[in-house]
Amino acid sequence: MYRYDALDAEMLADRTAEFRTQVRRRVAGEITEEQFKPLRLMNGLYLQLHAYMLRIAIPYGALNSAKLHRLAHVSRTWDRGYGHFTTRTNLQLHWIKLKDAPDILASLAEVGLHSIQTSGNCIRNVTADPYAGAAADEVDDPRVWSEAIRQWSTFHPEFSFLPRKFKIAVGAAPDDRTAARIYDIGLKLRRGRGEEGLGFEVMVGGGLGRTPYLGPTIREFLPTRHLLSYLAAILRVYNRYGRRDNIWKARIKILVASLGAEEFARQVEAEWKAMVETGEAAGIDVPEAEVARIRQAFGEVPFEDRPAASAAFEAARAGDPAFARFVRHNVLPHKVPGYAIVTVSLKAPGEVPGDCSSDQMDALADLAARYSFDEIRVHYEQNMVLPHVALDDVPAVYAELQRIGLSTPNVGLASDIIACPGLDYCTLANARAIPIAQDIAKRFADPAVAEDVGELRIKISGCINACGHHHVGHIGILGVDKKGEEFYQLTLGGSGLEDARLGEILGPALPAPRVAEAVDALVDTYMRERAEGERFVDTYRRIGLAPFKAAVYAEAH
Amino acid sequence: MEARMSDVPAKPVLLKAVTGNRLADGEVVFWNRGAWRERFADIELFEDPAEAEAALGEAKAQPTVIVDPYLIDVRIDDGVPIPVAYRERVRALGPTIHPDMGKQTEGGAVIDAIAHASGAARSAGRIKLIKR
Amino acid sequence: MLKLIKLDQGGPAWVEDSYFDVPDEEPTPGQGDVLLSFARFVEEGEALAAAGRKVGVRLNADEPVEALAPHLDRVAMVALVFPKFRDGRQYSQATLLRMRYGYAGELRAVGDVLLEQGRFMARCGFDAFAPADGTGPEDWAGALARYRHVYQTAADRREPNFALRLQAAEGA
Repeated sequence: MYRYDALDAEMLADRTAEFRTQVRRRVAGEITEEQFKPLRLMNGLYLQLHAYMLRIAIPYGALNSAKLHRLAHVSRTWDRGYGHFTTRTNLQLHWIKLKDAPDILASLAEVGLHSIQTSGNCIRNVTADPYAGAAADEVDDPRVWSEAIRQWSTFHPEFSFLPRKFKIAVGAAPDDRTAARIYDIGLKLRRGRGEEGLGFEVMVGGGLGRTPYLGPTIREFLPTRHLLSYLAAILRVYNRYGRRDNIWKARIKILVASLGAEEFARQVEAEWKAMVETGEAAGIDVPEAEVARIRQAFGEVPFEDRPAASAAFEAARAGDPAFARFVRHNVLPHKVPGYAIVTVSLKAPGEVPGDCSSDQMDALADLAARYSFDEIRVHYEQNMVLPHVALDDVPAVYAELQRIGLSTPNVGLASDIIACPGLDYCTLANARAIPIAQDIAKRFADPAVAEDVGELRIKISGCINACGHHHVGHIGILGVDKKGEEFYQLTLGGSGLEDARLGEILGPALPAPRVAEAVDALVDTYMRERAEGERFVDTYRRIGLAPFKAAVYAEAH
Repeated sequence: MEARMSDVPAKPVLLKAVTGNRLADGEVVFWNRGAWRERFADIELFEDPAEAEAALGEAKAQPTVIVDPYLIDVRIDDGVPIPVAYRERVRALGPTIHPDMGKQTEGGAVIDAIAHASGAARSAGRIKLIKR
Repeated sequence: MLKLIKLDQGGPAWVEDSYFDVPDEEPTPGQGDVLLSFARFVEEGEALAAAGRKVGVRLNADEPVEALAPHLDRVAMVALVFPKFRDGRQYSQATLLRMRYGYAGELRAVGDVLLEQGRFMARCGFDAFAPADGTGPEDWAGALARYRHVYQTAADRREPNFALRLQAAEGA
């Protein structure tokens, strides 16, 4: 993965020093909380229900063993021995003290980690396809571009006080594994026609929350060399014309929707054209040599020449049904023969989805070093990915995962639930999300049952901010506050992938005790009605809402 | 006109109190006669809203000690003070999914009562805090 | 007269502010440098400049620099108002003045101008600041020097890291 050079490391050191100064000024009363809040947010430090929460950046989800060991150390030393991986592939620590934050940043900086711009009205962590470098269908490694964007956007003087937060995703395959259409900017690398080389499809104005939108494509093909200047044009239009009067109307999705995609695109193209003509764009775009340097700094994985099939792997599969099940759900083919992509589920039924203990982090770091060319990734579905495991080694990896309690074979299944921290931790929440997730997951704890039900993406948000991405769940669950009680609104049929669409509301919100049984009723309906090969979401799309609604609300009649 | 106890349905008495987070460490704390206490059981309760506002004013005058203090509603259940809002109960206890973490680990009558309380109301404090 | 910090060769320093900030409801003084709102500038700017007066223009965050651009040769100073430190529109406005329209005169940050945003302002081309938080040139010198390097190009034309890396590679 990308190796920080002296300039990158220096940036982190200077940032740590600056934050130390800012904390000192705040504690001394030289700046008010109102003045300090955006500063600490731009350093990922929230004040939550129980303590400060620190959101550590994991740029495009990529970690190596040194970084993951450091995350274990930090969570053990300054927190309560665990962390929470988010839908934005960052790590959250929930029990942080402000006075410790500068020391924490210093510790993180030693291994090239930071919390820069993980909150605030600025450009946030740029994500990438979690299978970058391992997926056969990618046209390039999207992380190279995510890193270029990360550098360009870090402490960008023009774009650090935007109307609202700004999130960019980069993918490089026809299959969208980045949820590009629900991002402020979704970028999809593709080959051009003829001599054109590589370029980006540019999607702008996606987002969830109170007013969800799928982002339209405003540019079908942008040559890669123009990426940063074109992004600057988009950001400048947003910075100047995005709404600042209403926090719920301040995202770029509102601007795009109100202007219309065509007019928005016209304004961006006009701005970009002016930047090109005045030479400003040429100064912004990084030269090909810098892209090549970034690419080289990622290093080339020294894959070995292996046969496509592995006797050890096949023997384990044939001999151990549990391992076979793990392979069916958690192991994906790799572009290099003899290798595989292994997903580590952080969704053991009954556990907090996305949580990982410091000890587990250390063990995963060791696995990455030993079996995955020192690479491990965070997936936006709140799982971890070992991207380059030799098939020969998968049984050993599985055995170790069993030892540390992270071998649940449920990726993409009903118990692989995405849930935000919710009212147990978050000041913004209306309702708790984690206990709901735990209740549901327990009902699918039997791996045979979960497998029989098949692919079912359940996503739970504790409030309309939608950090659990409920709008794009096959079953989405949104916590609402009804007269102070925790109620939950269910939606069906959403998807964040290539077939992006938003879920349909099932019916009136349900009280907390009825949610898990409602999910049972939905699944029972699916099991009864499904045709051959249909997933839950396919059956819903074929038969519509009515049978599902009837199953859940029948008692009310 | 004298109200007769047997005729009038008992209305829950709503008291006010002041809470915030400590600046240095983010700890949830509760105002008690000019000091900040870590246990909800030690919270000062105000019957008179004017007194509560006065206390809040004093709290707001400590910007290097406390962050964004605000008023909360408290009711008395069998002699034990309970925050009315769910959110404030979670703040007084800790995360419900980790009974081994946070203030709830201390146990005691007040903690038990909060953990088992039913019914709630919207927290005005939370709404006001959602700002830019 | 404002307490004004100006960036020059020696770094941030207090300077006397020669501009009189003319409220919209009041007449323009007969002599001295004046700072006018955009609407007033449209009315009187040309005449004042022709008479050899130094005229500054004050733009609010919602008054686009494009409207001022054709008149920049008559403008001795531009003051961009930050209504609230979190409102970042003037960073784009400043950048456009410098990069798009080639404005080379004094570019002043006024309004909710705080030390912690100083480095963003300087990078976007501001060279004069009216701090609202009681900070002075020493504070600003420190704040502007917090980062040894920068990642991206901006109006201040500091060399970005990618350019330094290229030079290092070519030199090697």
